[in-house]
Amino acid sequence: MSEGLLGFEGFRLILGMVIALSFASVNALFLVWLERKVSGHIQLRPGPMEVGPHGVLQTAADALKLIGKELILPLKADKKLFFLAPVLVFTPVLVGFLVLPFSPGLIIHDMNLGVLLVFAFSTITVLAILTGGWASNNKYALLGAVRSVAQNVAYEIPLLLAVMSIVLMVHSLSFSHIVVLQKNVWFVFLQPLACLIYLIAATAETNRAPFDIPEAESELVAGFHTEYSGMGFGLYFLAEYTNMFIVCAVATSLFFGGWNGLFGISLGIPGVFWFLFKTYFLIFVIMWVRWTFPRVRFDQLMNFSWKVMIPLSLVNLVITAIVVKII
Amino acid sequence: MDELVRNEAGDRIYSLNLGPQHPSTHGVLRILLDLDGEYIVKADPVIGYGHRGHEKMGENRQYKQFLPNTSRIDYLSGLLYNHGFVLAVEKLAGIKVPERAKFIRVIAAELNRISSHLLWFGTYLLDIGGITPFLYAFDDREHILDILDTITGSRLTYSYCRFGGVCRDIDWKFIEMSRAFLKRMEARWADYEALVTKNVIFIHRTRDVGVIDRELARQYGVTGPNLRACGVPFDVRRSEPYEVYDRLDFEIPTGTKGDALDRYNVRFREMQQSCRIIDQALDQLPEGEVLAPKVPQKLSPPKGEVYSAFESARGLSAYYMVSDGSSGPYRCHIRVPSFGNLNVLNDVLPGTLVADAISILGSIDVVIPEIDR
Amino acid sequence: MMLKDIEARMQAKFADSPLKRDETGVTGARWSVELPISAIREAAMEFNGAGFFLESITALDFEDTFELVYHYNCFEPASRVTVRVLCGHDQSPASVCDIFRGAVWLEREVHDFFGIKFAGNPDMRPLLLPEDADYHPLKKTFGKVGAYHKREVIYG
Repeated sequence: MSEGLLGFEGFRLILGMVIALSFASVNALFLVWLERKVSGHIQLRPGPMEVGPHGVLQTAADALKLIGKELILPLKADKKLFFLAPVLVFTPVLVGFLVLPFSPGLIIHDMNLGVLLVFAFSTITVLAILTGGWASNNKYALLGAVRSVAQNVAYEIPLLLAVMSIVLMVHSLSFSHIVVLQKNVWFVFLQPLACLIYLIAATAETNRAPFDIPEAESELVAGFHTEYSGMGFGLYFLAEYTNMFIVCAVATSLFFGGWNGLFGISLGIPGVFWFLFKTYFLIFVIMWVRWTFPRVRFDQLMNFSWKVMIPLSLVNLVITAIVVKII
Repeated sequence: MDELVRNEAGDRIYSLNLGPQHPSTHGVLRILLDLDGEYIVKADPVIGYGHRGHEKMGENRQYKQFLPNTSRIDYLSGLLYNHGFVLAVEKLAGIKVPERAKFIRVIAAELNRISSHLLWFGTYLLDIGGITPFLYAFDDREHILDILDTITGSRLTYSYCRFGGVCRDIDWKFIEMSRAFLKRMEARWADYEALVTKNVIFIHRTRDVGVIDRELARQYGVTGPNLRACGVPFDVRRSEPYEVYDRLDFEIPTGTKGDALDRYNVRFREMQQSCRIIDQALDQLPEGEVLAPKVPQKLSPPKGEVYSAFESARGLSAYYMVSDGSSGPYRCHIRVPSFGNLNVLNDVLPGTLVADAISILGSIDVVIPEIDR
Repeated sequence: MMLKDIEARMQAKFADSPLKRDETGVTGARWSVELPISAIREAAMEFNGAGFFLESITALDFEDTFELVYHYNCFEPASRVTVRVLCGHDQSPASVCDIFRGAVWLEREVHDFFGIKFAGNPDMRPLLLPEDADYHPLKKTFGKVGAYHKREVIYG
């Protein structure tokens, strides 16, 4: 089994990607259901209740419906780019799974540049959004796409700067190495500011409310995916929720100890459950925020990044560098 | 993008057709926007998609037959319009209304005002991206609809008032439900304050946005909460008291700057004042008839004209009717507050962002079919 | 008081047009005045100067003439005043839209419904009716009509 045509490493990679793909799909279905349940309970209503116990199969039914729907191509749209964009938006997100440290040994490919890889690929998403918005030849879609680019550029910087301060501390870009070092103390206690900046920037990166201005449904109808129907829309949806999982999983690995228990106490629970529990808790927090706050305005969003987040993260980075040097 | 045109300075203008099918144009409003980036250069509201010809219908019907139309002019404050029409006809025909009916009308009208404001509250927050307050507000509004349902028999397009009173007396159940609602709202105001009024993002989204000052309001005939937000305590319930408003103790909330935040605060406090009015009216409710006896089925008021103003949820509304002595009006004109309130957008929108345009449109609380009539 | 001021000024300016006071309150106005068609703008300027706002413009279609009804009101103290202008079926009254900016739409609406063209209003596109509407539904010659009177039938 191990010495096949591609060799053990290659086989492991392919198997891993297949598992990651199925995990991503199931995860998205679960997250959409969770989102609807969380929003429902926040809004004093039960959420989906009809399909399956407490509506757990609702999103599966919705997904089936989406697959069955016609893909409508707007008259003046750029056909190639229009259909390329949803694929382009989903693929890089999937690559992120390659390096996520679910538990010791349960990593598809433990690279020493894992952190870099995740962020490098997540940047491609914004290109895909721009492509989709442009190819739709719709004014709302174009406005949404343009907003998205500006927003992603502005929030990529504090995001990476926050991550950099962790990297400076541990001298490594490998996820498993970073997680191992948090066996006793999670980095959130050493780098609270970086953690906060990361979470805010990550919310903006994934276009989640209150930073969901690229799709701002009350202003731009549906922003960059206004013209998408059926699975084209479905892939955007899938990408959004998978992306959410990735940023929360990265946050778990970088700041909340990954598969480690709190202060080295693991209560006998396997590491993968610690990891998933923390990741889903962060996702829950992001949902909670979405259903509580109104949306910020575009210029306020940019101001917040350039005038608050970036200076703060720079200061944090400099202080980290100095402290690391002294120690 | 072949639609790009250039302005006088040679810059390219991105024209955006906002509506009529758009999530936040509140009915069927279409605004032609010329954009420079995300900034609005020129805004041209296009209305009339909901024109049903209520004025023409009024002229072709007897007074009584027009009664159900009235609550469909502004369907969010239907009872207020229903009330206003009855007031106008009573004035014209010289019909006396029993005391108890006057109180009942005020209670029902104020309940309707709260429900209208609650709907505005919810949809406004929806416009600026907060979905949860919308459902909270609808939850509360549902209680009002239930209360009004018990006496009027309908939930949205009420036809409760009659010439000379109201069609049905209120009972202990209505009073109990109203009291329970007032009690419930006490706690809800605090919830709303915590969730919305004190929310930093909300304040940043609304402060200094879409300022309508006193002079601009006067130029365009802006009335209602939008006018009060710029510090003018002009309220028909106070300036030309009808029914029993002069016997009830309530404040007229005003703002200072006339921005979206002021408009929000004014409406928010108005809901609380309406609760106060209902509370007092329930306390003072006299016994007696609810419908004046001997009002003929077919009214034929004397020749002449009537202009009867009342405060709807959106501002000064009025029925202007001219009678030729027959059983229907010769001319039936309806002055609607949203007309002036939307008209002012021609001046307010240029120079703002698209996101602000939505916020401003939401904050002035227009009901487009009311303008279209 | 502003109302007293404007009363005096109106009486001085339009000596031929007496103010009709309304004590009963049925018309909703403190007083009304009937002005010649040429005096629309002058009256509007007076009211503008006195801090009034234009509450509504509407028209009535009589067999012999149109009647334009301007309702002016004031924020504090609230004091509504009616200005009536008789306007022949073929006459076009002067627009007040450069005095009260909101009048553009009010006059467009009157034009929609009655076909009265306001001279000086830059934008006479239909407001509530379809863009290509060439009918004026509130004219008594349009559609189903209850009665079509001469003006004296109602106002004596």
